Amino acid sequence: MNYDDETLMAYADGELDPAQRAVIEAAIAQDPELARRVAQQRALRTKMAGAFGKVLDQPVPERLENAARGGAKTESGRGNVLQFPARSARAPSPPWRAREWIAMAASLLLGVLLSWRLLTPDPGVFEAGTGGMLARGELARALDRQLASEQRGEEPVLIGLTFKAHEGNYCRSFLLRSAQTAGLACRVGAEWQVAATDSSVTSQGGMQQASSALPPSILRIIESRMQGTVLDAEAEKIAQQDAWDANR
Amino acid sequence: MTEAVSEIGERIVSLLPRLRRFARSLSRNQHDADDLVQAAVERAWRHLDQFKPGANLASWIFGIMKNAWLDNLRTRNRRGEVALPEDSGEHPAVAPVDAEASLWAVSAAMDKLPEDQRLAVALVLVEGMSYKEAAEVLEIPMGTLTSRLARGRLALVAELGDPT
Repeated sequence: MNYDDETLMAYADGELDPAQRAVIEAAIAQDPELARRVAQQRALRTKMAGAFGKVLDQPVPERLENAARGGAKTESGRGNVLQFPARSARAPSPPWRAREWIAMAASLLLGVLLSWRLLTPDPGVFEAGTGGMLARGELARALDRQLASEQRGEEPVLIGLTFKAHEGNYCRSFLLRSAQTAGLACRVGAEWQVAATDSSVTSQGGMQQASSALPPSILRIIESRMQGTVLDAEAEKIAQQDAWDANR
Repeated sequence: MTEAVSEIGERIVSLLPRLRRFARSLSRNQHDADDLVQAAVERAWRHLDQFKPGANLASWIFGIMKNAWLDNLRTRNRRGEVALPEDSGEHPAVAPVDAEASLWAVSAAMDKLPEDQRLAVALVLVEGMSYKEAAEVLEIPMGTLTSRLARGRLALVAELGDPT
């Protein structure tokens, strides 16, 4: 009896059930040609596993370990996370010079090209100010007024976590739904300064807690800046009534 | 939240050697392979919310890597990039020890397989997955997997010679 390659292959790979296996074994015992074909399948498997198996013994590059822990995006420069320079709340820095503008434009372009998706938060919601990127338009309105505890989930901007940063000012994470962009903004004077954005947010539809939709990149930035804990609904409301002035 | 996230991170770290091996069997050289691993792992983090607790993390990330690899190929084809000649790969310039020579030869033979056969061979012969597991990672029926695997094997024997 003749057997096709797929059956012999499945036998060699140990994929047949005991009954089928017994049939093939009996056939092999009678037919040296079948035995040769099975041996060839097994030898190929050994050869492939042996050749690539050497990779297991090699040291793993550090960049991969960082990526595996969720931390490689900003270092590799390949992701589309933008972390804007943190500026002191007290000492306004000089306006950006041309070189910095070009660098920022280049990194924006790089993010777009490499990630093959448009990094296009509504231009009306960000504005470059003297201290970095500032929130404008509906983003600024949401940061000023919207309480995470009172959101219906349909708002164009969803507010996630509100917390106090190490510098003592308030920060709030946000999700710009139309641009599928998450970010973090911190209060500086009477402005919301955008500390970071990540446009790799997947659309999930429905009502989703803005905090759980935050990409790991933003969560890490929050972790590094947060002092104490996330504000609960009551504390968030009081902070809002104080116009986000942490010194009141 | 923080704890769960760092725990997943460590689990992914422990998968890295296998992910590198899988990526190496799909790529021409280790550098491209590591780029692929990085892309897959970053993609996994971005889509962590789609991972169902209790599901097999390894299978999930292997599947992500499969998609990332196919996306890379499509992008490259769309850009009309011409594949580099084999000599510009990692063909050793000095007389290689046997092990390096066999990896290079096997890698070059894999490179000639159609992508669907390469994936089947990589998961079953190199990674040692069962047919069922491999079919799940590739999101194809078992019958499709076995026929791709059989064709891939035939082509490899034709390319590499009888391994026995």
